Amino acid sequence: MADRPTEAPREGATVLPDPGSEPHDSSRTHVTGRSEYVDDRPLMRGELVCGLVYSPYARARLVKLDLTAACAVPGVACAITAADVARNAWGSIFVEQPILVEQEAQHAGEVVAVLAAESREALAKALRRVHAEWEELPAIRTIDEAIAAASFIGVERTIARGDATAALAAAPHRLSGTLVIEAADHFYLESHAAVAYPRADGPIEVHSSTQHPTETQHVVADALGLPFHEVVCIARRLGGGFGGKETQAAPIAALAALVAKRTGRPARLVLSKDDDMIVTGKRNPFQIRYEVGFDGAGMLLALDAQLHSDGGAYADLSTAIMERALLHCDNAYFVPNVRVRGQVCRTNHHPHTAFRGFGGPKGVALIESIIEDVARTVGCDALDVRRRNVYRPGHDVTHFGQKIEDNCLPALFESLESRCEYRARREAIRSSNAAGTGPLRGLSMTAVKFGIAFTTRFLNQANALVNVHRDGTVQVSTGAVEMGQGVNTRIAAIVAERFGIAIDAVRVMTTSTEKNANTSPTAASAGTDLNGAAAAKACEAITRRLGHLANHLRGLPADRWPSRTAGLGTAPEFVVPEGPPPSPVRFERGAVIVEADGGDAFEIPLPRLLGEAYLSRISICDYGHFATPNLGFDKEKGQGRAFLYFSQGVAASEVEIDRRTGEVKVRRVDLLMDLGRPVNHALDMGQVTGGFVQGMGWVTTEHLFYDDHGLLVSHSPSTYKIPSVQDTPRIFNTDLVFNERNTANIRGTKASGEPPLLLSLSVWTAIRDAVMSERERLRGELELVPIAIPATAERILRAIERETFAAIEAR
Amino acid sequence: MRDHALLHVNGVAREVRGRDAFMMLAEWLRKELGLPGTKIVCAEGDCGACTVLRAFDPPGSSFPEAPFEAMNSCIAIVAAMDGAHVVTVEGMESEGELAPAQAAMRRCHGSQCGFCTPGFVMALSGMVEQHAGEPIDRRVAANHLTGNLCRCTGYEPILEAACSLRTSEAHRVGPRYGTLDRRARARSAMESGFEVEHDGLRFAAPTSLEEACGFAAANPGFRVVGASTDLGVPINKGRPMPETLLSLHLIPEMYEARADDSRVSVGARVPLSRLRHLCADAAPEFARFLDLFASPQIKNVATLVGNIATGSPIGDTLPFLLVAGGAVGVASLGEGDGGLKRREIPMTELYRGYRQLSLAPGELITHVTFDRLGSDRFLRLYKVSQRKDLDISTVSAAFSVKLDRAGGGGAVGVSAARLALGGVAATPIRLPAVEEAIVGTLDAARIESLAELVAGSIRPLSDVRGSAAYRSVLAANLFRRFGRELLDG
Ligand SMILES: Cc1cc2nc3c(=O)[nH]c(=O)nc-3n(C[C@H](O)[C@H](O)[C@H](O)COP(=O)(O)OP(=O)(O)OC[C@H]3O[C@@H](n4cnc5c(N)ncnc54)[C@H](O)[C@@H]3O)c2cc1C
Ligand code: FES
Ligand code: FES
Repeated sequence: MADRPTEAPREGATVLPDPGSEPHDSSRTHVTGRSEYVDDRPLMRGELVCGLVYSPYARARLVKLDLTAACAVPGVACAITAADVARNAWGSIFVEQPILVEQEAQHAGEVVAVLAAESREALAKALRRVHAEWEELPAIRTIDEAIAAASFIGVERTIARGDATAALAAAPHRLSGTLVIEAADHFYLESHAAVAYPRADGPIEVHSSTQHPTETQHVVADALGLPFHEVVCIARRLGGGFGGKETQAAPIAALAALVAKRTGRPARLVLSKDDDMIVTGKRNPFQIRYEVGFDGAGMLLALDAQLHSDGGAYADLSTAIMERALLHCDNAYFVPNVRVRGQVCRTNHHPHTAFRGFGGPKGVALIESIIEDVARTVGCDALDVRRRNVYRPGHDVTHFGQKIEDNCLPALFESLESRCEYRARREAIRSSNAAGTGPLRGLSMTAVKFGIAFTTRFLNQANALVNVHRDGTVQVSTGAVEMGQGVNTRIAAIVAERFGIAIDAVRVMTTSTEKNANTSPTAASAGTDLNGAAAAKACEAITRRLGHLANHLRGLPADRWPSRTAGLGTAPEFVVPEGPPPSPVRFERGAVIVEADGGDAFEIPLPRLLGEAYLSRISICDYGHFATPNLGFDKEKGQGRAFLYFSQGVAASEVEIDRRTGEVKVRRVDLLMDLGRPVNHALDMGQVTGGFVQGMGWVTTEHLFYDDHGLLVSHSPSTYKIPSVQDTPRIFNTDLVFNERNTANIRGTKASGEPPLLLSLSVWTAIRDAVMSERERLRGELELVPIAIPATAERILRAIERETFAAIEAR
Repeated sequence: MRDHALLHVNGVAREVRGRDAFMMLAEWLRKELGLPGTKIVCAEGDCGACTVLRAFDPPGSSFPEAPFEAMNSCIAIVAAMDGAHVVTVEGMESEGELAPAQAAMRRCHGSQCGFCTPGFVMALSGMVEQHAGEPIDRRVAANHLTGNLCRCTGYEPILEAACSLRTSEAHRVGPRYGTLDRRARARSAMESGFEVEHDGLRFAAPTSLEEACGFAAANPGFRVVGASTDLGVPINKGRPMPETLLSLHLIPEMYEARADDSRVSVGARVPLSRLRHLCADAAPEFARFLDLFASPQIKNVATLVGNIATGSPIGDTLPFLLVAGGAVGVASLGEGDGGLKRREIPMTELYRGYRQLSLAPGELITHVTFDRLGSDRFLRLYKVSQRKDLDISTVSAAFSVKLDRAGGGGAVGVSAARLALGGVAATPIRLPAVEEAIVGTLDAARIESLAELVAGSIRPLSDVRGSAAYRSVLAANLFRRFGRELLDG
């Protein structure tokens, strides 16, 4: 892995100084085990431990819930059911999901009661004594069943350009098919957790593993029947979130708070990994029917696709996720005539939710897989087809009408093609596969063009509180939640730069709704973009005032400075005027420098200036609010400027398949991304490799398996297989290009949280490449083989040995 | 007789009684000792977040120094840690200075959300203990980290950290914690047995087999506990703890492992990692196969006897033992005289049904024996799982044939065969029909028809790890692979 970004492969790029690779602000406490997560909080006297009772059936009527035996276990403090919830409904988009089941469970794992006990042993015993009688009801388990029953959430959305129907009819070639994408679990290592402290003398304080403290605060307050100011939600850090704690942390926190309020004792609800996986929603499964038209050179002419997603039992964020899927059906490629329609289905699964990529990966999977098929059909290499269709000058407006400014895609393709020796390897693979012995290999290069911004405009806002102390150190608070992505480190870097101080003079404080209210979730890769910009605004307000004071002090004899006079009141007080300081001011190396116009520059150490400011009654703290400008996407028309900018990249993956078992090994990955001008290079690289490997799991081994009643069976790592260290690509070359042209964003950065995950689709397309070449070899003719995501070993072997499986299953 | 278990944690001796003794080590460290650096994620040994280091001098052993090795603390019962020294992430810094694994993880950005980090630090530290002074490459590092999951980093920076570790003797925790006085205290404590009780639960650890069998006879509902890597999982998942647990860890005989010219014998308390070592010479194919078994954390403590006694249809060692003439040695108290009664049960007769063993009441397993296969035997062991490493088999296979003529001309002569499969029935099974049909001259065409026979002689089930059809195809394909390798010599 290269440890420095390399030069951009095109004109106009300059190599910048090292963007900094500060270790994560918590790295020291992480490695010593002193980083505190919710369940690491010391036990309080009288604290209760809580556990969940939930439905084992996809849909069932609660005939009887008898908790007497459970509550009779010594040490059990209370049981909470729906009747105890003040407002038993919540939801980010549609307020429709109960916190506790009242009469009918809509998914397996839907919580019906919470038990609280003084010890884990008592809790375990009590949970074994719960007597729940359910009447299992017919359930909708698949997208097809939902479509048949017209069981939908929200309305169908369409994004269209040109006339897809007419263009399809006129196209020289057409292909159609169905793509199946299954769910995936977030598998953050820290499962959902909350501790609620009732305060006799003040608000209830909830420590939650949440990506969205504001929503958690509100849901807790509603559940308890309290006004918002009676609840404080605190999120110190998360042991991973990936979208899974954007909405679904809220009801968990509410359950802990209900126990705390009822008993007046601290209450802790920490889900086991099993309960976490059973209860909470996943990445939405998708089923996409499509038809594509193209010419003999593989130029895409028209795309008509109908996307259905499985939203699960409640809406959660599924409609917004569908919107993002529709907005990413083009990915890196210009398609003149497009009609993509999306409808969320209501089923009896756990309510599916945000997961890194937020719908984007589904749209991208569709078009990248189509391109593989188009290429085989016209007899070209898929990379050629990609490069022909890529967005390029003159063809750089998306199907939703946004022009792609700063389009790096053609250059990224070109650069990676030569760096990864694509052509030579393609030849080697072709001849080795033709032999028909040894492992089967496949190669594919895919791209990502990921739109940055919440597609819901009002979420694109943030606030920050910047408290500068007189010794020149700074405390910053924002609504951003640190979950490993390094948002705190990045915000600290931005603030440190504004004040010209060392990064360790800045501390990003615990996220809490008492300091930052009405915040957005830390999501959409926008944590640094939004909160960093808000912090920068607060810093600018402070540096403006300090700049004025520095200008003023420059002309003031030392004995008239506030430090000499303020206590005595012997000199008039300086009042900061409007506008920028008269002479420009720089904050550098712990000092403040007023530019000389003619004479010597005036320099004053920052702490000294801060002291003078304080004595002059000039505020050295501030609060900044940021709203992303220039966004305007009309969801009903499906047109407009949905995104502030696009993070872009390409990756080439080579896989090796065991012909006898279907097992896959990723031999080599070459990945190149444009992340603008990074705030912190190491953190970005961490997001890139981490996101890619996470996505690899989704497209290969991560398989959710439900029993006949709709209860998840693969609810722990013994059955749900995320990538292990042995699964990482044998060769993994990742690199970033430097790009200074992104002016849309704070410091010219580009978001790196989600986009790399989408590049892992190249592993899946490489698997299809291998399988299709094997089928072609075996049958002597072209066969386009659909393979669902995840492409498990079994699915791969089924695709290769279709006839054998059919024969066995016919027995 | 002691009334407590004795263990050291980060250098401090702890006598454990009552409720604490029956807790899982991770939970006890976090909640009772105030050491929350050790994390719990899966509570089933599959993620490594709870990794700690453990050193243990077996009773009566003459090891110069017991190494500190990684293990999962989430599924270890505190009482069963008697005699051990446990080091947690909190114990790694020395005088405010980060341990090498900690410094490397920090330097290489090996930590993002940090929740997996203590576990990785401890697994890496286990590697440092074992490889002090040696260079670490990616393969060695990956093998030590197979038991640790990270969802954030993609492992690259962690591997980089591992390979950048400059380890020296000076960095080892062994000498710092495994001091002679502490080891002496543990040894002398282990000379007497102990029993602890709490709320209807009992845990007994006698120092002789006679006592153990006496206890077994007197307490019909007893369960033997090994490393509890199997036993611990259902307990964490809400099943009650067995009321009466019997641990053989104070009985010196249980640690015996030896190979003579014809047979290998492994005591009930021999961890799989030591078995792997022994088999490197005595059963190389089995040793290689053990590399795909679980993780270092599991293998450093888990026993072969535990794998057998669990009786899972997908126990990975079972197909091998079925083809290698495996047998378990059992002991119980004799009827009349109260002396020890020992007998051997061949593996082929051990399983009566799904997880059911043909042990008589009061019998416990003391050891396992199996054949050293001669050079006229061609043996291959295969395992297919959803993920290559740290996964339970979808199908596993042990195929062994006796050759009567060397290969050549695309054919070999087979005079006898033992073929076993795991994961295709309620117990691991042999394939008698194929074993019979395979005898004779074997060429590519016959391998193909025998592969069909393999698929035809099993009726596997569908489950979370794969469909029935997949298992059938796998079984046949593994046989094809075996045939290919056999013909290729
Ligand atoms: C993460 C993880 C990964 C695993 N991977 C694998 C794998 O790849 N392949 C595989 O086959 N297994 C695997 N296992 C299962 C398990 O580790 C093995 O079965 C192990 O060998 C059990 O040994 P133990 O000493 O921990 O047994 P324990 O859990 O202590 O005991 C297991 C059973 O054996 C009984 N028992 C133990 N000793 C005796 C005795 N002396 N006499 C009578 N009964 C006895 C116990 O009562 C209990 O019923 C895995 C387990 C985990 C947690
Ligand atoms: S908590 Fe996962 S291995 Fe122990
Ligand atoms: S750093 Fe988050 S799981 Fe490893």
